[in-house]
Amino acid sequence: MKKIVLMTLLVCTAFAVFSVWPLSLSAEGDGIVRIWFSQYTEENAAMETIATRFTQETGIVVEVVPRMTVFNAAQDFTNNIEHDERPDIVFMQAPDIGNLVASGLLEPLDTVVDSELRTRFVSSAIDAFSLEGIPYGIGYSVDTYGLVYNRALVTDEDLPQTWDEFFALGEALTVRDNDGNVTRWGFCLNPRDMWFTYPIIRSFGGYYYGRYPNGDYNPYDIGLDNEGMLDYVALIKDLHTKGLTLSTSTQSESTIVARFIAGNVAMMIYGLWNAAMFQNAGIDYGITSLPDPGPGQTSLALTTVQGFVVNAKTLHQDATLAFLSYLSSDENQQLLIEAGNGGSQKLGTRNPANRAVIASGYIQSDANLRALSALNDECEPFPNIKEGTIWYNYTTTCFQAIFYGTSTGGTVDPQAKLHELAQAIRNDVAQMNAQPERITLPEGLWKWILGFFAGLSALGGGVVWIRHRRNPVRRKGFSREALLGWGLMIPLLVLLGMFYLYPILHNCYLSLTDYSGIHLLDYGLIGWANYRQIFSSGFRDLASMTGWTLLFATTVVGLSFLLGALLATVMNRAGAQIAKIYRMIFILPWVIPTVITLLMWQGLLDTEDGMINHFLSLFGIPAVPWLSNPLVARISTILVMVWFSFPYFMVVSTGLIKNIPKDYYEAAKVDGANGFFLFFRITIPLVFRALVPTLIMSFLLQFNQFGVYVLTAGGPASDVIGAPGATDLLITYVFNTAFNTNRYGLAAAYSVIIFLFVALFSLGAMRIGKKMSEGEV
Amino acid sequence: MKKTIRNRGTQAVVYVFLTLLALVTIFPFVYILLIAFGKNIVGTQALFPKEFTLDHFRRLFTETHFWDWIGNSLVVSSVTMVATVVLVSVSVYVFSRLRFRGKEKLFRFVLLIQVFPLMLSMVSIFRLFVALGLLNDLKGLILVYSAISSAGLVLMAKGFFDTIPFELDEAAMVDGASRFQILRYVILPLARPMLAVVAVQSFVIAYNEYGIASTVMTSGIDTMPLAVGLQSMTVNQYGTNWSLYCAAAVLGAVPMMILYYAMQRHFLGGLSEGAVKM
Repeated sequence: MKKIVLMTLLVCTAFAVFSVWPLSLSAEGDGIVRIWFSQYTEENAAMETIATRFTQETGIVVEVVPRMTVFNAAQDFTNNIEHDERPDIVFMQAPDIGNLVASGLLEPLDTVVDSELRTRFVSSAIDAFSLEGIPYGIGYSVDTYGLVYNRALVTDEDLPQTWDEFFALGEALTVRDNDGNVTRWGFCLNPRDMWFTYPIIRSFGGYYYGRYPNGDYNPYDIGLDNEGMLDYVALIKDLHTKGLTLSTSTQSESTIVARFIAGNVAMMIYGLWNAAMFQNAGIDYGITSLPDPGPGQTSLALTTVQGFVVNAKTLHQDATLAFLSYLSSDENQQLLIEAGNGGSQKLGTRNPANRAVIASGYIQSDANLRALSALNDECEPFPNIKEGTIWYNYTTTCFQAIFYGTSTGGTVDPQAKLHELAQAIRNDVAQMNAQPERITLPEGLWKWILGFFAGLSALGGGVVWIRHRRNPVRRKGFSREALLGWGLMIPLLVLLGMFYLYPILHNCYLSLTDYSGIHLLDYGLIGWANYRQIFSSGFRDLASMTGWTLLFATTVVGLSFLLGALLATVMNRAGAQIAKIYRMIFILPWVIPTVITLLMWQGLLDTEDGMINHFLSLFGIPAVPWLSNPLVARISTILVMVWFSFPYFMVVSTGLIKNIPKDYYEAAKVDGANGFFLFFRITIPLVFRALVPTLIMSFLLQFNQFGVYVLTAGGPASDVIGAPGATDLLITYVFNTAFNTNRYGLAAAYSVIIFLFVALFSLGAMRIGKKMSEGEV
Repeated sequence: MKKTIRNRGTQAVVYVFLTLLALVTIFPFVYILLIAFGKNIVGTQALFPKEFTLDHFRRLFTETHFWDWIGNSLVVSSVTMVATVVLVSVSVYVFSRLRFRGKEKLFRFVLLIQVFPLMLSMVSIFRLFVALGLLNDLKGLILVYSAISSAGLVLMAKGFFDTIPFELDEAAMVDGASRFQILRYVILPLARPMLAVVAVQSFVIAYNEYGIASTVMTSGIDTMPLAVGLQSMTVNQYGTNWSLYCAAAVLGAVPMMILYYAMQRHFLGGLSEGAVKM
């Protein structure tokens, strides 16, 4: 027992030292300016060319780092901010800068973004990267949308100028069959999504965040529950009855795009992202500016601008800023944009923010690129404040309930629902901005704590040592076998200490701090505030979700085990050749990358377009709401996870079943037992006994099953905005809520609670499992 | 006579059951293949495409770093597999064969410590990688995957080791074999089916893992393992390119299939009868 205490103390000390040890960071850089750029090879090559020229002119070396996707740029930038090879310039999306600016990670670019540069770029390119009047980035590509139309169905002259004309023309162009079902859509809207319908919402007076007089967003002013929104809801409901919106909540933008490609949609509010497919399908398409609310008014598309920001922790500020200016020249922008659009292919991937590039022959000679770039002055950047993404997270749930009813089929009062939406957003904004008071610890407290632990360890060690020397019997206990045992365990224990024990201790510490999106570097201790919040506001959700998580994990493990053992038994008895073929098939779920198969299941189980429902409809079976009805979604989730884990149990059981002595079965058969009896009374208990630890492990794996996040994202969403969805496990819910508002300290507190709960639970399970396996046979 | 008819009936039921289950199992893969080879498919709503094409594979090789990714994944997974097999056999030998105080507690510690949800503690993992200088380094991934898979598999392997009779050890000991010799020549050969499962499973864990890899392998496009490369295709700015994604999935599954079918002989071959008693 003493040894355990000693070990624990030593390990604690080691990790306490480790967690406060200053990270080894070199203060001076290697003189190389690093730029994280694109996912496109050609575009990076163009940037290399520019970098080489820059090096020739100035002698400053620039390294272009290719990136996978711009979506991870902000997160990865935060992680690498003080790395030895930290990026100096990062290509990212404007909405991502809010947290980074709040944490002081971005360099203000007043000097580079002067009045001369402002005249050379469209205003949205600079506005999108400005906060409180200070520019933090330079826009490069404007990701916007407009009215995409099929020239075979609507001529350029007939295009609507106002929303009223748009709705009238859409109705006029719509073709219905004898039963009144729409076969060709004048336009088709997705009422769940606010991104593309936002200009219409604006025309009715709705808005997400208001603005302060100085033009900055005011996250406390939410315009999603005003009078205008009710009119908007009435309009969409009217369109819904006419069949001009998506008919079910499981359809999405891609449904509209597929219809457009099939030539069945005249107009849609969309961008040129799938232009290559339009071309392949032979659609004569065009893009134009959105209809306007009325004469003299302009509709603004919700836009994401992508551009370059500068690391505030850069080690070579002057060189970095010089290169940023250099690549922002008209000539270099032209080079980049042409490469980004695939040269002569003119894909429309990048929509220039530079006015000279827009005016260039490259853009103007192509009808669609010209039309797209003409939209650059008619757009509104997605809010870039740190609260920016909050409103967007809840709108889908809210509009789904309003337009498609609740998950149980009931209808909702739009006014109450919109009010609930606004309230949920206000809550999150308030929570994000809540600043619990920091606790200031006396200087050098860490040293005292370390000293205390070190002293305690030394004392404990001394006592153990003395007792060993004095007591010959005890000395015998410290045998060569024990030495050998501990020695052999060292490699595994070191690994576990590094990758499990350290994160646990570090999380315990983080759970007591205000570490969050707005305090990425300067977080401090705030005491129990995170825990208090979990137990005061979210306790009921926490309890109900824990229940479901337990049920989920138990059912998945139980079913997989039974199915696996059954298959193993059947295969052992089947002919060798046939068994071989079946085994090859049944192992497939185990050997194909999980992420892929999860997404495939998601597609297969789609209520509207999923292959399974298509297949069932051949037999006249009506569509099953696999993932959209709360109860059915829970069953589906369990079945999909069983599908993933049964091959493992099959493989593990096969070996075990082969080793069960034949006499057991023979004896039972003599007594007249049937196959059913043999399986449940001999095979299952024996295999179960050998697999108790594996079963417990699997249970724990399922308890923290993150695959559910990929499959359903926790949905279908609860009818109460912000409450856990039907298939939300503890871990997915925490991931959703804590990371939604970037409160990492809160997430750490949840993870500590989950850990304690599961650890206690599995201790109990182990006790019971041990008793069960000892009691049987 | 009556008995054979009944047997045939049971056999028929068994085969119908197996065939139905096999269909359910195969279904998603057929779907992946359809999307990978089908022409002009939007989203995942593919239903029997009219034309087939190899274009997606051509694009996969020319427009992405597919070969880099799969190379990285193979290196990481193979090294992890070897490390895990060694770590697990040694640790399980300790847990199953040695007798010393604190062993039970150690075993429980190994089991309990891994219930911590690593998905929620990426910050700590990340900090560790920075402190050890392992950021953007495949060595770091190998270390963390070896830890995860060893911890997870030790418990299963112990269940199997315990079924190997202690009498065999004692007999070898009497013949003057050392502990290492006993492990190498007596226990491990008998535990081969379990080691094969450990090998396959650890390879699968390393090959599939996404969360940690996407956090610590962030700077270069060609340093990523396949799972991260694949995932980044689904969060593409212009919507998921399913055709490309499925093409990558089809090719990405090949190494694991080869490994599994190569190992199958070992863990399905069965043990010499009589050597093991339950």
